[in-house]
Amino acid sequence: MNLSNSSISEINKLYKNKELKPSEVYEEVFNNAALSESIIHAHLKLFQEEGIAASKLSDARFAKGKQLSQLDGIPIAIKDNINLKNHETTCSSKMLSNYISPYDATVISKLRNSGVVFTGKTNLDEFAMGSSTENSAFGPTKNPWNPQHVPGGSSGGSAAVVSVGSALASLGSDTGGSIRQPASFCGVVGFKPTYGTVSRYGLVAFASSLDQIGPITNSVEDAKIIFNSIKGHDPLDSTSIADTSIEIPDDKTAKVGVIKELMEDGISDESKNEVEKTIKLLEDQGNKVVEVSLPLTKVALSIYYLIAPAECSANLSRFDGVRYGSREFGETSYQMMENTRAQGFGEEVKKRILLGTYALSAGYYDAYYGQALKARSLITKDFENIFKDVDYLISPTTPTPAFKFGEKTENPLEMYMSDLCTIPANLAGLPAISIPTGLSSENMPLSVQLMSPARTDSSLLKFSEKLENLISFDQRTSLLKEMK
Amino acid sequence: MKKDIDIKSVAKLAAINLSEDEEKKLEKDLNIILEHVEALSKMNIDDEEISIHPLGETLNLREDISSEFLTHDEAMSNSPETEDGHFVVPPSLD
Amino acid sequence: MNMIPTIGMETHVELNTNSKMFCNCPVVETEDPNISLCPTCLGLPGALPVPNLKAIESITMLALSANCSITNNGMFHRKNYFYPDLPKNYQISQFDLPVGVNGSLEIILDEGIETVEIERVHMEEDTGKSKHKGSGRIDSATSTLLDFNRSGVPLVEIVTKPVIKSSKEAVSYIEELRQLVIDLGISEGKLEKGNLRFDANISVAKEGDKELGVKVEIKNMNSLRSLEKAIDFEIKRQTKLIESNEEIIQETRHWDEDKEVTSSMRSKEGSADYRYFSDPDLPNMILTDEFINNIKKEIPTLPSDKRKKLIDTGLSMSESNHLGKSEVWIYDLYLDTQKLTNDCKTTYNLITGELQGQLRKAEIENLPEWVNSERLSEIITMINDNKISFTSGKEVLTNLIQNEINPTDFAESNNLIQENDFDEISKIVKDVFEANKEVVQRIKDGEEKLVGFLVGQIIKSSGGNINPSIAKDLLLKEL
Repeated sequence: MNLSNSSISEINKLYKNKELKPSEVYEEVFNNAALSESIIHAHLKLFQEEGIAASKLSDARFAKGKQLSQLDGIPIAIKDNINLKNHETTCSSKMLSNYISPYDATVISKLRNSGVVFTGKTNLDEFAMGSSTENSAFGPTKNPWNPQHVPGGSSGGSAAVVSVGSALASLGSDTGGSIRQPASFCGVVGFKPTYGTVSRYGLVAFASSLDQIGPITNSVEDAKIIFNSIKGHDPLDSTSIADTSIEIPDDKTAKVGVIKELMEDGISDESKNEVEKTIKLLEDQGNKVVEVSLPLTKVALSIYYLIAPAECSANLSRFDGVRYGSREFGETSYQMMENTRAQGFGEEVKKRILLGTYALSAGYYDAYYGQALKARSLITKDFENIFKDVDYLISPTTPTPAFKFGEKTENPLEMYMSDLCTIPANLAGLPAISIPTGLSSENMPLSVQLMSPARTDSSLLKFSEKLENLISFDQRTSLLKEMK
Repeated sequence: MKKDIDIKSVAKLAAINLSEDEEKKLEKDLNIILEHVEALSKMNIDDEEISIHPLGETLNLREDISSEFLTHDEAMSNSPETEDGHFVVPPSLD
Repeated sequence: MNMIPTIGMETHVELNTNSKMFCNCPVVETEDPNISLCPTCLGLPGALPVPNLKAIESITMLALSANCSITNNGMFHRKNYFYPDLPKNYQISQFDLPVGVNGSLEIILDEGIETVEIERVHMEEDTGKSKHKGSGRIDSATSTLLDFNRSGVPLVEIVTKPVIKSSKEAVSYIEELRQLVIDLGISEGKLEKGNLRFDANISVAKEGDKELGVKVEIKNMNSLRSLEKAIDFEIKRQTKLIESNEEIIQETRHWDEDKEVTSSMRSKEGSADYRYFSDPDLPNMILTDEFINNIKKEIPTLPSDKRKKLIDTGLSMSESNHLGKSEVWIYDLYLDTQKLTNDCKTTYNLITGELQGQLRKAEIENLPEWVNSERLSEIITMINDNKISFTSGKEVLTNLIQNEINPTDFAESNNLIQENDFDEISKIVKDVFEANKEVVQRIKDGEEKLVGFLVGQIIKSSGGNINPSIAKDLLLKEL
């Protein structure tokens, strides 16, 4: 049995029946890491000693029948912009290469209490800004399906480890698609919850009104299990919402909308095709599928590329060499800060900080940031109207499958375009999930994206699970065999 | 609306000391992006009360109870330079 | 040509909450640096702010007491600027939707009561503290030491409209504001501890000019004295410049306590671009009418209310002001007693002057419970009815403090009741007249001060119990 591609519930059953031990599973994923890391470079840090120790404690708990949860003994990788106490949280930036966090993010505390075994921290685009992990200060992650292709970003490392089996699941963060897009590129499931359902306390902020932590997994069921474990109102996060969930009744009669504007130019035929195939499956099952229109998708990118940089320009101001992180010389403290930030930040990060600073500056606020906020609420309203008529929305996750390294780094807009399909859900705070559906002509993973109204996460996951079974894309390939 | 960005003054506001090459490249890239967002900035949208939270949630206030978090050593643990329990930086003007 | 100064005051009040504004760290008073910190107030990556309910209640109470309208749907904004003592390099503050707007505060001047219009009252967080090492002066320091214990402490900022007209007014305004926050119980209000800090914006214009002059901000005034001196100096400086047709630069200037001058700090260059935007970590803050009304109910009697009550009893402005600022028990005792005596002057003098003074002298901290308004009113009524002199009243009071006596009985049994009968006194006056013929002659010749001597003689021969003013009148009549 290829353990690393088994589901959490399957493994948990084996643990409970004492047919398998957490330390054995940990050993296997660690070996997968040992085999793959030199090629794909997905983990920035591997917690070997700690992982062994934690998995052994889990062994003992199962032996006594005192397991903490369904996640006890499950090896999970954590994106390196989420704080883990006494470990580096580098955000893949030179600025924080030596920063050791003195506290746990709330999601980490929750996972610890569940008995999760942390495998290590994964690579990302610096400060979560990017769609390919090419912006990491410590070298890119390679797509396990084809190392000449990007794994996507910003949670490229988190997606790659699940794909290759060096963790059973991982946590990523999603601001404009950073969970869903890399999950799509790596042929795994990526889920972005409703804004506010998962605490952001301990997630290094990129764009505060858009960021959410979510699971990247082998199956929708796994995503559901992890989501249920990390969600919940957090008094340490003023934007986290109360634990009220809205249910969408009965999957069979659920009505699905296809977003017209995301099936037009700018989307590759292969990606559109996956959506068409999925629609057919749904219709065969008795679901009604209609075309819907979201005309503001045309400006969604602009809205995002004003709001996100504006918020990040302030969120990243704290990186100044004063209290932590790298520090450069300066005669005065201001010069020290200027030099530290010049040396510590990569090009993309600087670009977004400057863009955001400009969008907020005197004389430009109204036309740029102010305008983006207004337009954003229009998008939210549009979604609300659409959801009066349909229960779920379907679209491609990405315009194309995983592109090659260096393919989109020339023109700043080209890379941003890869977020076309994923950004709207962040702007409106909606839950969204990417499910792998097949392979492209170049043997790279393809997927579809599903969205639903705010707070309907559990319904979305249920519906997606049913769809996943219909699709039955067996992404349990032997990628590793090829690597050996 | 002025399209060309004054990269030097923006970099000053953002406290980033750009090299000349960086200035040139960033100015070019940012102008491309700003041109793309022009369409949005020209849209006519009615003023409305803005909800900060995407789902329209409002603020919950916290009880005034104090509790300790970081020890002194934990707080100082990543400091590039310390003296007598203080963080040390080059002299700040004003 | 007359130069009219215009002053606006910006004041920051440290609230006396248990925890900081956006985190649970304790608000501490200590020399030990960096001991009350968490990811939020230290600005660590991944930290988030959660606002303090008590701080919002306190600022609402302050804004209501200053007659402000309260913003029902407000928000927090990020004020962006880089400085080492500001952990996030932005301060969470409020921009265009502050908690309180358009209020006013009464201030007491020699000429009477003035109303200072208040532009806004808003909530923000404090920064850490910097210590400059080196030669001790800012511009030749070798390094700066930072302590973040104070980072995140709740601060209320109160901004007046530019309506203050003199340094004395400014001082009076700060005194009033300080008393208010102390009375509301929201701050210790100690200037020397930094609980209350202020900057002044000063401009000068020619009389008749419709526009205000160039605004200069003055910082670093640490006491009311320096506030007064700094404003006076700055007005002079600006006046001189205008008179010699020189330009006044819009800037921030630093008050030098030693040299007693304001000096240039940095050019304001218009104003810094703080790039305010609504803080996405903090959703809209809704203060309902219910919340506001509950706070209103909690407001204790304020200095201005107290003053009004006291003036209504007949006291002067300065007496009312003085008594209004005294401890509550004296204020209450005065009012209770005054109701019984229906007199204000004697009641005021006996309670504020005598009673307080005597307690202090006798080193008695707490007023004995039998020293109440009934007994005091007895004494005061006796004085006002001319039954005893004020001096005798003091004596009764002294004994009342020590023992639970009945004032009237005490006065009678101690021979303090003075003679008021005209005939009786006339007799004594005539006798003294007779016995001091030389002195009388000298008075008639012009030595008026000897009248006092004769009055003394009259009182002496009566055994001390005649009404001295009646005696004097009758004596003068005789002369």
